[in-house]
Amino acid sequence: MNNTQTEPKVKKETKNTIKVEFDRTPFWQRMKAKFVNKNFFIKLIWAIFRYVILIGIAYIILFPFFTKVSSSFMGPEDFVDATVKLIPKNFTLDTYKYIFLENKYMQAVGNTMILSISAALLQTFVCAMIGYGLAKFKFKGNKILFLLVIFSMIIPHQTLQLSLFMKFRYFDILGIIQLLGGGSQWLPQLNVTGGVTSINLTNTYIPLALLSATGLAFKNGLYIFMMRQFYRGVPNELEESAYIDGSGIFKTFLKIILPLSVPMMITIFLFAFSWQWTDTFYTSLFFTRTSMVLMKNVIAIPESLNITYAGSSMYNAAIRNTCGLMIIAPLVVIYLFCQRYLIQGIERSGMTAD
Amino acid sequence: MNKEADVKLVQNTANKKRRKVHSLEKKTARGGYLFTLPFIIGFIVIYLPVVFESFLYSVTTIERINAGESYQLVWAGLANYREALFSDPNYSQILTAGLRQLVLDVPAILIFSLFIAVLLNQKMVGRAAFRAIFFVPVILSTGLISQIDYSNTSLMTYMSDTEGIGTNAAQTTSVAEIVSAMDIEYLFANMKIGGGMAKYVSSILNNIYNIVNRSGVQMLIFLAGLQSISPAIYESCNVEGASAWETFWKITFPMISPMILVNFIYTIIDAFTSSTNSVMSYINQVYGEAGKDTLSVAMAWIYFAIVIVAVLIAAALMSAFVFYQRRD
Repeated sequence: MNNTQTEPKVKKETKNTIKVEFDRTPFWQRMKAKFVNKNFFIKLIWAIFRYVILIGIAYIILFPFFTKVSSSFMGPEDFVDATVKLIPKNFTLDTYKYIFLENKYMQAVGNTMILSISAALLQTFVCAMIGYGLAKFKFKGNKILFLLVIFSMIIPHQTLQLSLFMKFRYFDILGIIQLLGGGSQWLPQLNVTGGVTSINLTNTYIPLALLSATGLAFKNGLYIFMMRQFYRGVPNELEESAYIDGSGIFKTFLKIILPLSVPMMITIFLFAFSWQWTDTFYTSLFFTRTSMVLMKNVIAIPESLNITYAGSSMYNAAIRNTCGLMIIAPLVVIYLFCQRYLIQGIERSGMTAD
Repeated sequence: MNKEADVKLVQNTANKKRRKVHSLEKKTARGGYLFTLPFIIGFIVIYLPVVFESFLYSVTTIERINAGESYQLVWAGLANYREALFSDPNYSQILTAGLRQLVLDVPAILIFSLFIAVLLNQKMVGRAAFRAIFFVPVILSTGLISQIDYSNTSLMTYMSDTEGIGTNAAQTTSVAEIVSAMDIEYLFANMKIGGGMAKYVSSILNNIYNIVNRSGVQMLIFLAGLQSISPAIYESCNVEGASAWETFWKITFPMISPMILVNFIYTIIDAFTSSTNSVMSYINQVYGEAGKDTLSVAMAWIYFAIVIVAVLIAAALMSAFVFYQRRD
């Protein structure tokens, strides 16, 4: 074969780029080959179909938020005016102002913040610990313990609400306080605590703290499961080398394993925090007094806005929704920053059913 | 002399080694107990007594003595259960309606969340944004917020009503529905599926907001499952000339089937905490009435027992079809 290829004609040459002249298929032919065929059409139709569905459902998810936000700025007149939809005519910030002033909003945020952050931190750490113990250590009863974790998830706390309440209303550890107080059948003459046979823990943070610290709070079984799946994917060599270097079990866990699992822990913290933040079940179960202002107490119609007129049912609904918006405002901020971790954490967990 | 010392040394190290292995085993076992200690203590001290007492309350009535400082249980036998099932005018009705609703909702949630997870798993423009939007309900539409949502559908109807001036009440309700049953029936008329199916589909479509709200975690679990399928399998499928439809049913579906089982159970357990659960809200209402707290416990146990038995049977049937990939 003789080399017929000649040197390519250089059209333009600059320092970084070079344009060479060569026989190229005409533009229209190239476009035709690329876009006018079956494969491309199928892909196009599929893409359109996909976007229609995704945008439609995204609309379903976001539309309630739009209506809530827009109705929160409406004055009471707008709810009897049939021409007003979504865009307020009498723009007002009164709803926010009175909820802020009359519903003890700041107090509720403060209390719930303390409750949620401490509960979520405790749950994240404890679930990480339990998940690590289940994933990395071989001991008798490991599998049974894991089944028990699943079991604790399966019975909903709603079924147990009375006994949960009674447990913490008349709190006692394995009958010890009853024994000391003389309430038991065996030693009725013993009376150390002066007749007190149980402790009332309701209206304090202790019940939730106890449930969190023992990995029994809301959906903690799910968190333990997620952490366990995550730690099963962590190579054993990491800990082994740490042990060889003379690090103890706990030091290894704190210094090596915990920093590794930060993305997963952020996911769990996010779940635990936001579910505790909007929780009604535990807060209404354990906090029976209204003096303890939590988020559930914010949802009310402020007295200054309590007017009776033709559109008052709509207006009251709008006020309640505004309360809801103010409750989730901190969560929205957190979600905007952390949603990346939420999805990454779940993806990295390598969750499988085995 | 030298040899003897050598032998001794070897023996020594062997002994040491054996002892060390043993102690390491013990050490890791101890570590396991230490790490899971919070759960073990909590389970024994709090959880088991709570479950047991819950059973106990359902067969007793509570009498408070010492001005509420302590209480006393009075044995009532199966009276609470009998009252719940035969005397209470509403319970059995609400229970059957609630169970029917659960049977209808669970497949819808599972299919919907799997469908969306498959869509969100594909590469496309704006995937991150869509994912962020689809997981909004997981974080923001729980507890209090879903309670508010549930209590006012009227405002939503009012806002989404685009007809404006001149609409009367009858029209507004029809506008609020995304699709009317008539449309679906028209669509299904030629398919010979029957009116029941048409009603089911239209009820789900009109309830889509609720379904979307309840399928967030399921979507996450499905997505995690989809991510764990090796891309090499899809590649070889593609090379062999399988269509996307075939790939889904022959590869994705079997590989994701353990997740379907997990999500099936999770959805049902989660339904107990949902604020749209009519049985649970009725039980809560009974719980609030004076002197009926143990009755509500009996009701809750009846509901839970029926559901969990059904779940176990269904899970046992499903697990026969679940495909587990053999690893390593």
